[in-house]
Amino acid sequence: MLSNSSPVVSRPKYSRPKLYISVIDDVIESMREVFLDEGVEERVLEELRQLPTNYAQTLRKPTASIVIPAGQNLHNFTAKANSSSTLATFSLPPGVSYPVQIPAGVTLQTSSGHLYKVNVPVMVTQAPGSHRVLSQPIQHVLEQREPVAHQETTTNSTVLQTIAPPVNDLYNHPPAPTGPVIQPTEPQPVACQQLGQGQCTSTELPAVQPPVVQKLLHSQLPPESPSDSPFTLEGIDFSPQPLDMSPTSSFVGQLTGLQEKAGQMQVLGSEFGGREEEDMNNAEMGTLPKVTENTGAVNLEHSEDSVKAALMKAVSYNDLLDIVQLDGVCDSSSEEEQAAGGPEDDFLGMINAEALRALQEGDGSSDGGSSNSNNSDVEDVMPEEEEDPLNSGDDVSEQDIPDLFETDNVVVCQYDKIHRSKNRWKFYLKDGVMCFGGKDYVFSKAVGEAEW
Amino acid sequence: MAYQLYRNTTLGNSLQESLDELIQTQQITPQLALQVLLQFDKAINTALANRVRNRVNFRGSLNTYRFCDNVWTFVLNDVEFREVTDLVKVDKVKIVACDGKNTGSNATE
Repeated sequence: MLSNSSPVVSRPKYSRPKLYISVIDDVIESMREVFLDEGVEERVLEELRQLPTNYAQTLRKPTASIVIPAGQNLHNFTAKANSSSTLATFSLPPGVSYPVQIPAGVTLQTSSGHLYKVNVPVMVTQAPGSHRVLSQPIQHVLEQREPVAHQETTTNSTVLQTIAPPVNDLYNHPPAPTGPVIQPTEPQPVACQQLGQGQCTSTELPAVQPPVVQKLLHSQLPPESPSDSPFTLEGIDFSPQPLDMSPTSSFVGQLTGLQEKAGQMQVLGSEFGGREEEDMNNAEMGTLPKVTENTGAVNLEHSEDSVKAALMKAVSYNDLLDIVQLDGVCDSSSEEEQAAGGPEDDFLGMINAEALRALQEGDGSSDGGSSNSNNSDVEDVMPEEEEDPLNSGDDVSEQDIPDLFETDNVVVCQYDKIHRSKNRWKFYLKDGVMCFGGKDYVFSKAVGEAEW
Repeated sequence: MAYQLYRNTTLGNSLQESLDELIQTQQITPQLALQVLLQFDKAINTALANRVRNRVNFRGSLNTYRFCDNVWTFVLNDVEFREVTDLVKVDKVKIVACDGKNTGSNATE
């Protein structure tokens, strides 16, 4: 058997390791001037020289949680997580206190599945005057109904999950902070808000020493006061441009619209701020936003609810996973789901119609439109169901094709000639790189035969 | 323009992931990373053409074949790769081959 130490290349001068090293060196040297012209530091080039060899060693590491020792930069571990496509779970041990430094490029996922990409290095700090609260895993943003309620639960853990593959910026500006405040690691005052606690903290970022982070799903935190509110990511303020979001994401577009609405509510809140004491007993005041000292706080109950409702519709990562595919490989399953839901859709259509009659005063128009659309969808599904049995036998190996071409043993090369005689094939290949079970081989010429 | 075929090798994948990391940390721009990959394509093509001189034979059973955009894709089963003195057996291998006569095209894998 060919071993990794004795590559296929017969000439020892150009053995595989030296071949790869020579290729890397050629690339680095040829890019040196370009890097300098771009203003990139030379250390980056040297880092690029070293990284491929490191990644090759970490390519096939199994999925595992990453333990970050104290005093070590999260950057390297993030890179390893990205290379090995692992799902790293960071949790704060009980003895660790804020601040926690999170480098840029890290994608955080809450236990509920929401994704937050950190574009700039941030530091999770704890607002002064409030203990770190983490009575349960990071709440769903939309579930944060009572930031002032100071809930007290049994489990205490902060779970931040990073997703190795980079994702689009889904959300980086939640409405309002509650407990800990995440601030970018820039030496400038950052305004932060405390919802419901009547505090407005503006602190400079202190010198940070990354705390010890251990792999704990439910770590025990220090005893917390009953007045602490659960930890959420609502209060994230990615200044200096917290509202700078990519317009490409539909969700972001929705969020932008919602924030604009929230901004309008803020204006109303500020207008009513002067009359807050006078209208305190006014019933309508309960619906008006709570005004804090900091007018920049997005702490409006209704705007929160609307924002949260919209977030629930768009942000849920689990929902993204459950998107029904209506074409392609999985169309049969989606059609089955539609077929299974056919009778139920009819029943719901009837219910909606009845509700429409009963609620004609309210949002009857929208419900009618939705009910009509449901009925039409049901009608469209029925003819398709009748046609499916006729075409079901056409795609025999439909499920096998993706799996058929999936293998770890790959040969990339160029062909001089491919010959076929009946079912006997002959291959004349050249300049190829083979990878079998993690081992690499190269060849200048390859001749093969196979019978189909 | 050299083939980008070899980006899907161990070395090529490692390089791409390294570049992705540098992009995420904003140390380089995506355009610069693309330049690096293009340079890698040239380097690997040159290295394989000039620095490698060995011959390999193989035999197996052809499971599937595909020819699209002048790119052959084969899946072979129970294949034996043999050099002069060495032998490697694999249960399943995928061969992706670009046209060796027209290396000026920029076809990807």
